[in-house]
Amino acid sequence: MKSRITIGRVITYIALIILAVSIIVPVGWVFLASIKENNEFYGNPWTLPKGFHFQNFSEAFSQARMGSYFFNSVMVTVIALALLLILALPAAYVLSRYKFRGNKLLNLAFMAGLFINVSYIVVPIFLMLVDGNKFLKQIFGGNVSFFLNNIFIMGLIYASTALPFTIYLLSSYFKTLPKDFEEAAYVDGAGYFKTMTAIILPMAKPSIITVILFNFLAFWNEYIIAVTIMTEDTAKTLPVGLMNLMAAQNAKAEYGKLYAGLVIVMLPTLILYMIVQKQLIQGMTAGGIKG
Amino acid sequence: MKMKKILALVMALTLSSVMVTGCGGDTDKDQSKGGNTTGGEKQTLKVAALESAYGADVWKEVVKAFEEEKGNVTVDLTIDKSLETVISAKMKAGEYPDFVHLATGRPDALTETLIKDNGLLAIDDVFDMTVPGESKTVSEKLIPGFRDSSIIKPYSDGKTYMAPMFYSPAGLFYNAGLLKEKGWEVPTTWDQMWELGDKAKAEGIALFTYPTSGYFDAFSWALLANIGGPDFLKKVTSYEEGIWDTAEGAKYLEIMGKLAEYTEKNTVANANNTNYLKNQQLILDNKAIFMPNGTWVIGEMEEAPKAEGFEWATASIPRVNESDEQYITTFFEQCWIPAASENQDLAKEFMAFMYSDKAAQIFANYGAVQPIQGASAMIPDSRGEKSLYAIYDTPVNAITDGGFATTDAVEGVSIADSWFSAYDSVVSGSKTVEEWKAGIVEASDKLRPALK
Amino acid sequence: MEKQKGRGRFIFFCVAPATILFLIFMVIPTINIFRMSFYKWGGYSPNKEFVGFNNFVTLFQDTKFLQSFQNTVLLIVIVTIVTFGLALIFAALLTRAKVKGTNFFRTIFYIPNILSMVVIAAIFSAIYDPDRGLLNGILGIFRGDAQAIAWLGDQKIVIYSIAGTLIWQAIGYYMVMYMASMASIPESLYESANLEGVSAVKQFFTITIPLIWTNIRTTLTFFIISSINLSFLLVTTMTDGKPDGATEVFLSYMYKQAYGNSSYGYGMAIGVIVFLFSFLLSAVVNAVTKREPIEF
Repeated sequence: MKSRITIGRVITYIALIILAVSIIVPVGWVFLASIKENNEFYGNPWTLPKGFHFQNFSEAFSQARMGSYFFNSVMVTVIALALLLILALPAAYVLSRYKFRGNKLLNLAFMAGLFINVSYIVVPIFLMLVDGNKFLKQIFGGNVSFFLNNIFIMGLIYASTALPFTIYLLSSYFKTLPKDFEEAAYVDGAGYFKTMTAIILPMAKPSIITVILFNFLAFWNEYIIAVTIMTEDTAKTLPVGLMNLMAAQNAKAEYGKLYAGLVIVMLPTLILYMIVQKQLIQGMTAGGIKG
Repeated sequence: MKMKKILALVMALTLSSVMVTGCGGDTDKDQSKGGNTTGGEKQTLKVAALESAYGADVWKEVVKAFEEEKGNVTVDLTIDKSLETVISAKMKAGEYPDFVHLATGRPDALTETLIKDNGLLAIDDVFDMTVPGESKTVSEKLIPGFRDSSIIKPYSDGKTYMAPMFYSPAGLFYNAGLLKEKGWEVPTTWDQMWELGDKAKAEGIALFTYPTSGYFDAFSWALLANIGGPDFLKKVTSYEEGIWDTAEGAKYLEIMGKLAEYTEKNTVANANNTNYLKNQQLILDNKAIFMPNGTWVIGEMEEAPKAEGFEWATASIPRVNESDEQYITTFFEQCWIPAASENQDLAKEFMAFMYSDKAAQIFANYGAVQPIQGASAMIPDSRGEKSLYAIYDTPVNAITDGGFATTDAVEGVSIADSWFSAYDSVVSGSKTVEEWKAGIVEASDKLRPALK
Repeated sequence: MEKQKGRGRFIFFCVAPATILFLIFMVIPTINIFRMSFYKWGGYSPNKEFVGFNNFVTLFQDTKFLQSFQNTVLLIVIVTIVTFGLALIFAALLTRAKVKGTNFFRTIFYIPNILSMVVIAAIFSAIYDPDRGLLNGILGIFRGDAQAIAWLGDQKIVIYSIAGTLIWQAIGYYMVMYMASMASIPESLYESANLEGVSAVKQFFTITIPLIWTNIRTTLTFFIISSINLSFLLVTTMTDGKPDGATEVFLSYMYKQAYGNSSYGYGMAIGVIVFLFSFLLSAVVNAVTKREPIEF
């Protein structure tokens, strides 16, 4: 039964390798392009860089403020992820495993929330924040701008808009768990809260890791909410900074800086993915044995 | 080669000096905020300007010059490549800038939206104001033709709501070096144009390309005027009924249909936001001869590799007959004051300052030419834009009021989509000229009742 | 009784915070969208005119909207079918086929999904370039000197080019999702199937698919939602609906109307349609695919 060379296996490897190459080559190309000089971008896109023009990166950091945007992005992403987990885990657990009045309605509401696209609710959200500012102004006077350009509020909005997706994902995992876990815990005298934190949540580790990974990517690359709510230069996030480097018509194209910026955005996600990927496997195997 | 190095050095120097002043500006702002409590007379003007081909530094310098001129004014400057997203959000929140430099004809059409919503301040008095620090009025300095442009008078009330900025000839851009090398003449009539197209085709060179279909507005204004004069152009852009069934309308469609056949084959595939520079590169590589464009293209393609002996030049849009009048579209940007601005008087002063020699010189240093007399001469000799203004020394009539008549918003109808975007389909062959015409007529019919 | 009370309190504190934030940041803004879709409003002026269902009536006579509708549906169908098939096959190969370098492939395949759309647009502009693009370069080996294919210029092809990009982007995402649930299928099931001499292909259909069915249903909904959303992000950065509306999708058209054509109310009417359409479509798909969750 040891792996023999069969036609099936050859085809399998060919398919896997073709897909892998179709990903490695273009992504590697972005890295190579990021060390090209500006004038190299007008010709054949697939030529190798003539030299190592690392100034693109220092220019992206110094002139395009990528450093400060980077910090903002990290902060927003971390805050949003923390809030999301605190909010979504208990909610998903209870919604999927407890029967109570209104349960069905809430489940349906969150499910419907999946279909709400931030692209069209962003303006109403923004106007709401503006009204919030006006309200604070009335109470405290002065020029308050608490709700806009606030990293915490931004994180809160990210977390809130990610709730339907996250709850849906976690619920569908919780639903597959057998009922006897809780019953056994109650017999042992554990309370509801204890049962959730000590027994159910550790079992949900693979799903939690999936949730973290997916939402990290969503928050890190998010552009539409950020561009509307974080208008001050000091509060902008990386994707917004990146859009500013994009070649706009009639404006001088700054390709070198743009591609350096693309790499700066991409690299942390790559690194984090590599790290989480290992835990993902561990978590999944652990869950598998238990199941 | 040397030239380029010097240019780069100069740019680096100006850049670093502006960065220093930029930092200085920030601390100024902080001081003014702190100064409010001590009760200073300092006024703050909120200026928002689009960062276009001329860069962001040009505005920092102009603002600094204005602050120096006024002494007690601080300018709070917002510059952004996508200015619309930044300021439209704030405006929805009721926070309006006092002065905005943002032209019509941009994809987001924020300026047009405010026009439709009656959101601009009438600024006729600005033209009678004396330019700060000088003795002449704005009107006296303006090049004739701009004051009466219907673009800056969008309604039928005769009042002016925008001020003209940065003008440039919008003609056909080409490589003079290529024509010289081949011994080809610049065509002045369409018959000569097609002749040249056939000659070029034999050598594997396409006659025509365009960056994106959006560039056909300025092109079409000149072509329409060449065919039927400015009155005909006016009728077309104000959606006159049946205008496309006239002989002139048919002529325009016929020329455009033929031009599509002479267009470089990959043009449509690259005529989008990400790839339009590839179409412009065709001119630099001698793969296509002409493209409609504006002077900013020089900055856009500054670092792009060019064919040997490359030399930017502009030509007018060809005429039908040698004896016809020659028209050329003058492209210009606009600045305006939101009706909701809280600092209108100061904003008007700033607007008037735009026409001072001091400001015009700063603009010219970056290749932007103000519509005041003598401004094109202010461009430093080292800049390629200078030679392009020579086209005004030839016998041409400048069109400064191309552009569609203002209408109320009509849901789902965009004349630019039906006219210019649809031309992509004509070139790619998925629409016939007849179908294209039907689309334009349909959009015109829907917009006509909504004219303001 | 005491326990009952504690239970109620526990449920309340678990669900309330999420529900409140969900109401504030998603439900209320959505209600506002529905409200605005009944108005004619440019977006800035204080006067909003109530027009009832006018915006919706106009919408269904607007050929450009119908074109974007058609494009979106086409994208949903193609992207879902192709991505679903490929992701499932690759997930099964990597979990069951005992391939060398499983970790390597898994890691690589997921990468497109972590890229920002700007990166993807840049990559595919270089791949689809008619003259010097990678795709025409490779095809050129087989096709010889035939006329270059204008991947982004030919109206008949361009929507498939967009679909290709979205599929490339999505395979890894769904593959990892399927792998995650495939990994929790007990190995013993496959072992006994092996002993009975069931072929690998048959195992895939009789064991793997039924046991990850819940997960598959989840992803079908995601396909609908993400195709609508990602096609918008890709189209705005790459083609902006060009040429001549051939790549226009729901949300890109909504943006053009709401912000580019001073028709905010009309744009929001499109938003309402997008919401209802995706909701109903998912409900249908969900109902059609309903099975009892299998516990093991």
